[in-house]
Amino acid sequence: MIVILTVFAVLVLYDLPRLIRRKESIKVIAIYVSLMAASLIVSLLLAANKRPASPAQWIKWILKMIGVVK
Amino acid sequence: MDIENDWSGKVMEKSRISSIQLFLLLIGFLFGSTVILNPALSAKNDAWLAIILGGVGGALLIGVYVSIALLNPSKTLVEILRGRFGKFIGNAVAILYIWYFIHLASLVFRNFGEFIVTVTFPETPMVVVIGIFAVLLVYGVNSGIEVMGRLSELFVPIISIIALIISLSLITTHDFTAFLPILENGMAPVLNAAFIFITFPFGETIAFLMLFPHLNKKGNLKKVSALSVLFIVALSLLIFIRDISVLGSDLMYRATFTPHLTSLLIPGLNVEPLVDINLLIGGGTKISVCIYAAVKALSQVLGIGDCRKLSTAITTFCVVLSIWIYENVLEMLSWAEKVWPYYSIPFQIIIPLILLALSLKKEKRRRIVSKT
Repeated sequence: MIVILTVFAVLVLYDLPRLIRRKESIKVIAIYVSLMAASLIVSLLLAANKRPASPAQWIKWILKMIGVVK
Repeated sequence: MDIENDWSGKVMEKSRISSIQLFLLLIGFLFGSTVILNPALSAKNDAWLAIILGGVGGALLIGVYVSIALLNPSKTLVEILRGRFGKFIGNAVAILYIWYFIHLASLVFRNFGEFIVTVTFPETPMVVVIGIFAVLLVYGVNSGIEVMGRLSELFVPIISIIALIISLSLITTHDFTAFLPILENGMAPVLNAAFIFITFPFGETIAFLMLFPHLNKKGNLKKVSALSVLFIVALSLLIFIRDISVLGSDLMYRATFTPHLTSLLIPGLNVEPLVDINLLIGGGTKISVCIYAAVKALSQVLGIGDCRKLSTAITTFCVVLSIWIYENVLEMLSWAEKVWPYYSIPFQIIIPLILLALSLKKEKRRRIVSKT
């Protein structure tokens, strides 16, 4: 957990001040923060052995429901 | 002069790549992770036929992408989608493509990670292997398409040299009766394997619609793509013939990483790291192209000038997704063979065919208007 938090802190501290200093638009910062937040949440859940259903499983489920995959 | 700002604020020329660089990027991309996952192997000893049929289908599919690019000169996939479908639907489909490129990059990351932790560094956590690889690739992507092109010039030729070295080293242990009997189970498994081979890797070159506008000589696009398909079919056939004649069809079908197993059988020589190098080059090229396509598409959808602002965030997401997406190697192999080809159909076949039809219609209308 601590390793994950450290890695993400380093990444954000490296990128975010630069985005703010260059006066990037709100949408750039919003997309950046959402991608990093999603990555952090999934990483913490994986580290805590609480793996949420993955996109591969959702896609397989949808294709099964349509009848494309058996 | 067309200019764009780079990450450090400097002004630089709009990037251009040569025909040879595009050819090598395509070779690296198409070879990609096929060094560990050969999609045609489900046809067992008839895989050679599946490779040829898949190659023909793949050439037609790449022909569709090239025609779209030539009918919409200097436009990326996102711009073509907006132009043909309108801004709202075009942007929505472009977001789906961004997801598709991110997903593809994650799959190749995972293939790479699984291979390395299974055969080379069994004690190392997969996330460390993938993470270090990602740092290198994000540096390459941030350096721009020209640097990616130059790197491909430097590294991609090594792929074929390594394949040749391994094949020649095994020349004394070949058994060519391994191909027989031909079409033992009929045409159905061959056609199925050929379809998988079309979607993986040929259909995935849809990502190049984000790169084609960078080609300096647009006239060479058809020739470059046709040559790259021909080269990859020849290379895949060489690798398949080598593997089946050394391992036999049954062992080849059962092996998780076939070329790696073949490389272990060379008497008195350990060339195992060469397979790792091939995967590093092919996988690296494929992931770089996918991340570049995703980052550029996202920046065009959002209307951001410089596409590299979001590359770190997207690559971080790809790394996390690659760990999250499968529970184990068996799930990865099964998903790649049974689900990926069908999931890819809209992205690789349906939407491009609609785009081609709409582009042809517009071109026809333009010609009529210019005549009158």
